[in-house]
Amino acid sequence: VSGLRVAVPKGAIFEDALAALGGAGLPVEVLRENGRRLFYVGEGAEFIVSRPSDVPVFVEHGAADVGIVGKDVLEEQRPNVMELRDLGTGACRMILAAPKLKAEEVRKSISHAEVVRVATSFPNTARRYFESLGRQAEIIELHGSLELAPLVGLSECIVDLTATGTTLRENDLVVLDEISRSTARLIANRGAYRLRHEEVAALLDAMRGSLLD
Amino acid sequence: MQRGTTRKFSTTPGTRDILPPESTRLLDVQARILERFRLHGFREVITPALEYSEVVEEPKLRDASFKLFDPDNQMLLLRPEMTTPIARLVAQRLRNVPTPHKLSYGLPVYRRTGVGRGQSAEFHQAGVEVVGSTSPGEDAGTIALLIETLQSVGLSAPRDFVLVLGQTAFYEGYLRRVAPETASELLASLAAKDLVRVDEISPSEAAGVREIPRLVGPATDGSVMQRAERYAEGEAAVALENLREILAHLDAGGHLDSVMLDLGLIGRHNYYTGAVYEVYASGLGFTVANGGRYDNLLRRFGEPLPATGFAISLERLMSVLPDREPPPLLVLVGASVEATRLAAQLRSSGVPVLHLADDLAPEAALGYAISVEASWVGYPAPEGLKLAPAEPGGEFEPTPTEKVAAKVLS
Repeated sequence: VSGLRVAVPKGAIFEDALAALGGAGLPVEVLRENGRRLFYVGEGAEFIVSRPSDVPVFVEHGAADVGIVGKDVLEEQRPNVMELRDLGTGACRMILAAPKLKAEEVRKSISHAEVVRVATSFPNTARRYFESLGRQAEIIELHGSLELAPLVGLSECIVDLTATGTTLRENDLVVLDEISRSTARLIANRGAYRLRHEEVAALLDAMRGSLLD
Repeated sequence: MQRGTTRKFSTTPGTRDILPPESTRLLDVQARILERFRLHGFREVITPALEYSEVVEEPKLRDASFKLFDPDNQMLLLRPEMTTPIARLVAQRLRNVPTPHKLSYGLPVYRRTGVGRGQSAEFHQAGVEVVGSTSPGEDAGTIALLIETLQSVGLSAPRDFVLVLGQTAFYEGYLRRVAPETASELLASLAAKDLVRVDEISPSEAAGVREIPRLVGPATDGSVMQRAERYAEGEAAVALENLREILAHLDAGGHLDSVMLDLGLIGRHNYYTGAVYEVYASGLGFTVANGGRYDNLLRRFGEPLPATGFAISLERLMSVLPDREPPPLLVLVGASVEATRLAAQLRSSGVPVLHLADDLAPEAALGYAISVEASWVGYPAPEGLKLAPAEPGGEFEPTPTEKVAAKVLS
């Protein structure tokens, strides 16, 4: 495996991504050398570290050949990239949640097709979810601290990602519905997948090997 | 004082003014491409930028289109591509003309969807369509033309670009036989390039469902076709044979080493029915050109004719072309009648001359010449011209008129 530029997401799945890439023989140690840098050149591979939601952008434009990103981000953005492998790690759920005391009320509003206000960082996912139910929602886009929104009356419920549910519990929120499940995926630029097919295929094979271990 | 109105004078999001030298290069490249198309006997057509909304059926293209209404309240689209308008044109205007129709175009198309994702709302396409033949030789012919065209504007394969070739009917035919219930979901997942989903929903007994989309490799190495052979039965066998014939034609023309096979490529539009292809260039994440066979599209317009063709995206092509020297140009400075006479005389001897009919000082003239990418600056002089190369501090030398052409054009 050589010469590929790999986009790696900061945050929750950073360590899983490094483990998967390292297991496939990529020189991920360079990423641990200096925590502040965003671009690393290793022996036979380059790495970009970015926000998870930016990984598909780098890959779609060919600024990175391959990348690792959660299925939740791919569902939200629907980027024009090749989705090649489920790494099985970074498992989490996209959920609809509301404050415990108001949960029943929100459930009723939704089932009566009343318009509910939903705070989320995943507006497309939330909109599609409510459309698929035939229910109505006013989507309020936030970029963090979603749990706050229903507590201060900004929204009635939230659509958010949760791995363990701890943050939800700490803020007295309960899950009303599971929208989808997500794991980390290996994605590739459409051009890189063909122009550098040998390298990408070798990476896929090496990952398959390390996933089976 | 009016305030806050400046925004109205900029171009709308996704559109831009194209200035020299980019605009001249764009037109140059387009001219060279159309000339190459003519070399294969293709003749240009021009269709209106506006079409009735019903003309375009493909949902993705309809969503991508700018819409407006005419005085009768009919919905119109700004054409999002050229294949459908040409299909309409052939069905309506060329009914009694012998087939195949070999038509080409170089025109702007309009899409609203890529705006904000690094793509333009208006971009230029040059392409060809062959309407009225099912021959694999026509598929191969258009593919070969595409490869030659890219080479003629300065790209070489496989270093700079690769043409990725698939056959939509192969995977479709295989799925209809082994997994008819899940076929449409599998095709939708593959069209979304989600191979993980393809693996998830594929029936375990049919290995080809998972393997065919991953059959990728150079066309010169026979292994992709060999591995595909295992799944070739019924319709899939017909499709694979068609692909083999196309490859034989490409080989005969010496084009095979520009081609990479990808049997997971099924084309971006539903209307593709056979061979499909995309061109990728190194250093660019997007397709430079794409095309394929669409045998059912014209049926909608009342003429059931098979067809195949491609479109090159000119702006994307330009972004991967090597830089070119600006063409030679002499800026001739002088308000006198003598200067006008000299300009005409030089042009008739083949020298491109920009005549600046003002008495400009040499420094200002050099500055002007550099700004228009001219190569030389001249003034009328007793024995001909005073000539200087267009660069800061360029030195003027007396040059006889008959020697100017040699200097400027060298």
